[in-house]
Amino acid sequence: MNTKKNKITTVPAELPQQVAANDAGDTSLHVSKLSLALDGKNILRDISFSLPAQGMNILIGPSGAGKSTLLRCLNLLHSDWHGELRIMGHDARCWPEGEDELRRSIGLIAQKPALFPCSIQQNIVFGLSRKECSYMPQIRIEKVLKQAALWDEVKNRLHDHAATLSVGQQQRLCIARALMLSPKMLLLDEPTASLDPRSKQFIETSLLELAQNMPVLCVTHDIEQAKRLGGQVIFMCDGHLIESGDSKLFFKYPNRIESREFLRWSVCDCS
Amino acid sequence: MRASALISLIVVMLMLWFLVQQSWPYWQHYGLGSFVSGDWYPYESLFGLAAAIIGSFWAALIALAIAIPTGLAAAVMSSEILSGPWRNLIRGSMELLAGIPSVVYGLLGLWLLLPFLQSSLHLLTGHNLLAAGLLLSVMILPTIMVMAQDALSEVSASQRDAAASLGMGWSARLWRILLPQAWPGIRSGILLALGRALGETMAVMLVVGSMDRIPEPFYNLLSPAQTLTSRIGREIGESAFGSMHFSALMACGLLLALVTIAISLLAHMHTDSARAT
Repeated sequence: MNTKKNKITTVPAELPQQVAANDAGDTSLHVSKLSLALDGKNILRDISFSLPAQGMNILIGPSGAGKSTLLRCLNLLHSDWHGELRIMGHDARCWPEGEDELRRSIGLIAQKPALFPCSIQQNIVFGLSRKECSYMPQIRIEKVLKQAALWDEVKNRLHDHAATLSVGQQQRLCIARALMLSPKMLLLDEPTASLDPRSKQFIETSLLELAQNMPVLCVTHDIEQAKRLGGQVIFMCDGHLIESGDSKLFFKYPNRIESREFLRWSVCDCS
Repeated sequence: MRASALISLIVVMLMLWFLVQQSWPYWQHYGLGSFVSGDWYPYESLFGLAAAIIGSFWAALIALAIAIPTGLAAAVMSSEILSGPWRNLIRGSMELLAGIPSVVYGLLGLWLLLPFLQSSLHLLTGHNLLAAGLLLSVMILPTIMVMAQDALSEVSASQRDAAASLGMGWSARLWRILLPQAWPGIRSGILLALGRALGETMAVMLVVGSMDRIPEPFYNLLSPAQTLTSRIGREIGESAFGSMHFSALMACGLLLALVTIAISLLAHMHTDSARAT
């Protein structure tokens, strides 16, 4: 794999906009000086980084660091942020086909599976328009279910209600639902929190396979999971991006004192 | 809790027993044929129920036809689009509307609505089914709006986010997520509003025209008419206790009570089944 493409580049906040724009050409996602305040409180402060065109990226940090909020900003669920966000070279705020189409291009999986009250199959095609549904072959459903490591468990019960699945299966169904829209990248917000080890393993395996074809940004505060998933690491604390880089290096030789504190105690006091 | 539920049940049963007992001579004499006869001339001992049943049906139907879309639109606007202060203002206004006595609505109808209908539609009189339906629609609007707003606000944020993450636009989220999921609560609101529309007396009595005749043609909404409630309200003081006239009015009351009880039970059944799922 191209090493350049698989390397996260932390863009210093003081870099001029021109540099950031040029850099965005090789990346799938480029964030520059992104800040967000909610109810007068600064949640994200001058976050800058870029994601390569494919590969696993882990966003770690203690609770309240702003990881989930950052994902919501990347998907424009929060839209009142300041800074620059470029996706596939386009300014996210001026996405050619509009905000809704941008969200279809970025699969976002929440921490708790949010399924709609209908069958497994209807959930998978929920994001498609009626026209898309009409010519969507069954083989496509099978493909995304296989990608989400769920096919073997649901192939004979696609018309059962989605609520009959276990929580781990529901989470994989959410991944399949997002994949059905052929996203250009996948954002996951602690997708395995409160899941059993077996379900965790299924999801991690599935994510690693997906990361071979698209950028996957996975939020976790589970350091062991971050080590297993590997790839690149972005470490956040109190709304700041503290450190980023190759996961092996990060876990072995963290540069910043906040990173060392977090890796040792799973907490960080950088406020 | 159980004692109060039991007392309520006993009161309802006693009320029904009283209505059945008092209307029994009427049912014995006229039977089910009274449902198809539209003639109501107490001095000639003609007591057909059809005119009042049709009047009640049309008044309630007009009210629902106006109040359901308006109430739902107001609920969606208030719950999904407006910010806090405006939302509270609309909600407060609706609760205020719900608290106004029905006779005040009736007087407003007499003062504003009837002259307006008479002049704008070039009618001999503004007293008609349309006036009753319009007035009822304002009266039941708060019930539909408030219950729909509560139901919409109960749709979880995670479902809304999941739909938005799938690139569903505002309108798709409304039609495919919000309204279907809030439907049990909305349906209960509609049924309760229907119960109120059918049972409303004073305001309807003041504007409906109190004409004991089936409209011609039967869908003529600009014709003065009569409803079950307005008939009882207008004539109960003139009927002698124990007379056939009194018994016929009790039969109207029994019919109303049974329909409204059935609607309330239906609303509760739907609410319970929605909670269970």
